[in-house]
Amino acid sequence: MVIVRRVKPLPYWIVPVLALVVGLLISMIILYVMSGGVITPYDILLSIYYGFTNVGLLAKTFALLVIVGIGLLVSFKGAIWNIGGEGQFYMGVMLAAWVALFSGFAFNGFIAKTMMILMALLAGGFWALLAALPRAYLNIDEVPVTLMMNYIAYYIVNYITIGEWREKQYGYYRTVTIPESTMFQVIDGTTITLELLILMITIFILVWLMFKYTSLGLRIKVLSSNPNLLRSSGISVQLTILMALLLSGMIIGMAGAAYLGSVSHNISYPVEEKTPGYGYTGILVAWLSMLELIAVPIAAYIIGALHTAGINIQIMGVGGAAVVNVFIGSILLTYAVLITISEYKIKIIVKKR
Amino acid sequence: MATQAESSKSFFSSPSTETPIIKLEGITKRFPGVIALDNINLEIHRGKVHALLGENGAGKSTLVKILYGIYTPDGGRIYIDGRPVKIAGPMDAIRLGIVMVSQSPVIIDRLTVEENIVLGLEKLNMFAPIRRIREKINEVSKTVGVKIDPSTEVWKLSYTQKQLVEIVRGLLLGARVLLLDEAITYLPLEEKKKFYKFIRQFADEGGTVILITHKIPEAMDVADLITVLRRGRVVGTVPVKGTSIEEIRKMMFGEKSSEITYERLPLGSPSETILEINDLWVRGDFGDYAVKGANLKVRRGEVVGIAGVAGNGQKELIQAVMRLRPVEKGKIIYDNIDITNKTTHYLRLNGVGYIPDLPAKYGVSIENNILENIAIIPTFSKEIINWKHIKSLAYKLIREFEIKTPSPETPVKFLSGGNIMKVLVSRELTAATKLLVAYNPTRALDEATAIRVRKIIKSKVINENVAALIASEDLDEIFQISDTIVVMNSGKIVGVFPADKAKREEVEHLMVM
Ligand SMILES: Nc1ncnc2c1ncn2[C@@H]1O[C@H](COP(=O)(O)OP(=O)(O)OP(=O)(O)O)[C@@H](O)[C@H]1O
Ligand SMILES: [Mg+2]
Repeated sequence: MVIVRRVKPLPYWIVPVLALVVGLLISMIILYVMSGGVITPYDILLSIYYGFTNVGLLAKTFALLVIVGIGLLVSFKGAIWNIGGEGQFYMGVMLAAWVALFSGFAFNGFIAKTMMILMALLAGGFWALLAALPRAYLNIDEVPVTLMMNYIAYYIVNYITIGEWREKQYGYYRTVTIPESTMFQVIDGTTITLELLILMITIFILVWLMFKYTSLGLRIKVLSSNPNLLRSSGISVQLTILMALLLSGMIIGMAGAAYLGSVSHNISYPVEEKTPGYGYTGILVAWLSMLELIAVPIAAYIIGALHTAGINIQIMGVGGAAVVNVFIGSILLTYAVLITISEYKIKIIVKKR
Repeated sequence: MATQAESSKSFFSSPSTETPIIKLEGITKRFPGVIALDNINLEIHRGKVHALLGENGAGKSTLVKILYGIYTPDGGRIYIDGRPVKIAGPMDAIRLGIVMVSQSPVIIDRLTVEENIVLGLEKLNMFAPIRRIREKINEVSKTVGVKIDPSTEVWKLSYTQKQLVEIVRGLLLGARVLLLDEAITYLPLEEKKKFYKFIRQFADEGGTVILITHKIPEAMDVADLITVLRRGRVVGTVPVKGTSIEEIRKMMFGEKSSEITYERLPLGSPSETILEINDLWVRGDFGDYAVKGANLKVRRGEVVGIAGVAGNGQKELIQAVMRLRPVEKGKIIYDNIDITNKTTHYLRLNGVGYIPDLPAKYGVSIENNILENIAIIPTFSKEIINWKHIKSLAYKLIREFEIKTPSPETPVKFLSGGNIMKVLVSRELTAATKLLVAYNPTRALDEATAIRVRKIIKSKVINENVAALIASEDLDEIFQISDTIVVMNSGKIVGVFPADKAKREEVEHLMVM
């Protein structure tokens, strides 16, 4: 099978819009069939409507998705496919939990929260770096590496959650709840916290500035469009790759801290089941934004709403934890298929010996 | 009726009585900010090689892309064999017997030559037995004199071989009309000649060729007719017999044509040595030595021109100097510092400009706009990009080099081939405050622009005491611009001549010796 580039690509906004529509239709069919007719398309539309309009409920998911989406966008812009958001996110969660629970900074909320975010940034960056180094210097594909690192991260966090860090009082498979002083401050009437909101806005502005005004931002863009030009310009391609993944991991790591401080307040075993999956959902956000920073909040809003809708359907008592994933999966799959057939043509040829 | 008679008469007013294979009537194509083609009327006849000439941005590529269905015209009509047609895509064009070959091969690297061709045929539900494909490849490669094994994978082929595969594929697709958009521009001179021989033969056997090139003498050698475009309009069509190079130039460039000269530009006054290459050994792409112990000196205020047939180590030498290719043995000294272990970045920060071969591949990023293509060079931007500064530089370059673009924010892919080259050349000339390193710096530029660029380089060398190391496959260029001519053959420097003492025959002899 070979893939040939189209001479005339389709208008570029068609793909995300079509992916949403088709993906949702597919989800409706799947859910209708799987639930034996209990979940009707009407229910789904209703919960989607509810998801979209209930801004307060949506807020925390939205903000976290914006941060993770931006983090992924930074590497995607350089055509470096960071699939390791989950791992970077959970390394962030873990280090932030360490600060909150064991570092001794908890006496002062401000210092503790700052340290949580900072350590999560380092942890996420470190985790991404482990994939970035072989990618940059040995040219080892970052996709499988970052993906596998997600599982390694899950298992490390699991190990410590039911080991060293396990709460002793009731013996649940989880850590104790972080101290009050380290919890982020909920904004009344919403699910979002002040710190999360500030973090989201700050990251958005910084990344915007980076792509608009810094050489690094431009280099990451050129890394995807023509790495040969970087070479002739005397810019290290390796270093650019490294920076793109490192920054990506750092940003996503911070989302982990914000998640711990705003939403979960502890780590529960097993994380691969308890995770909100933002590291993966973020991929969809980044893609739907067509890698335009300005569009990330829009994509995050849509995906966040679908996320909420999925949870609603779950709450209706049908379908397992997988309802959200049915939405996300269908849309992502449709997107992948559409982007392929919009930019490429696929030809199957039989090799003749 | 009188009116009818009149209109039918004007319809048949072409000089030839037969129906043209292609006829364009009032073809117009606009892009945001430009009219690329403005009411084009043109007839192309069977069995002819029809050259399409014109300055950079004249609309040549746009015209053939319309014939190949890549662009749809905004207005006008296309007739094939006298019948009106709509060409909505390359498939339509191929079905009509029109095949385009452009500068960059579009065959798939991972597949073998045969598989590529089978694929091309299958798209059209055409099937040819492998035996016939092999026959055709052998036949064409014999005529052209370039060997190809049909079962090798394409990535192993040279550029020339790839272009040949493109043409063979076109022929097997049943091409009656070949559109060659600078398809031959980047071939080494010798192979170019062989391709032209083949093109001539194809036309003599009844095929039709539309040939785009910037080399007027080549067009006059091989073509029957020449049509000149200027600013999107047809200036005129003339038979090659009965016209002269001067007349063509006048049609192409108007007043500016008088500035075209191949006289040697004034000599510089060389001062201290800035680049010194000692016993340099460099490997090529396939591991063998491409540069075998070269010695070379470039002084400030001097242009050193490297003459040679493509593939004799010039490219590798240039890349080694730019620190884009490892040095196996020997030394490169720039500005009194051994740069053998330094990086390209070091050179960039120390006044070196670099014009690589194949601009769209190595010199610019076509997805990015002109500003970004300037700002990316470390010479012009530190950590924070000063867009105001970049923008004023861009405007200056656009003005000085007459870069045809709607704005500096236009993605480079929307510029014509020659204008893309101008972006690269003008940027690197600005970066070269001490040394310019270049490989074929004026290829893809029209004649008038090429000569202007040479003049600008020379005046920089003379007035700003810059040094230049320029490798070129174009001997006219070498002789026009150089103060010292160096001949490279099989990885070695086989001759060094002061420009005023160099003899063309001697240089040519050393090149092919
Ligand atoms: N896809 C496009 N989008 C916008 N403008 C375009 C596009 N293609 C061509 N143009 C513009 O149309 C004009 C003609 O371009 P064209 O490529 O046909 O020139 P050309 O004669 O082939 O020049 P060259 O000798 O430099 O290759 C140019 O001004 C160019 O900028
Ligand atoms: Mg062109």
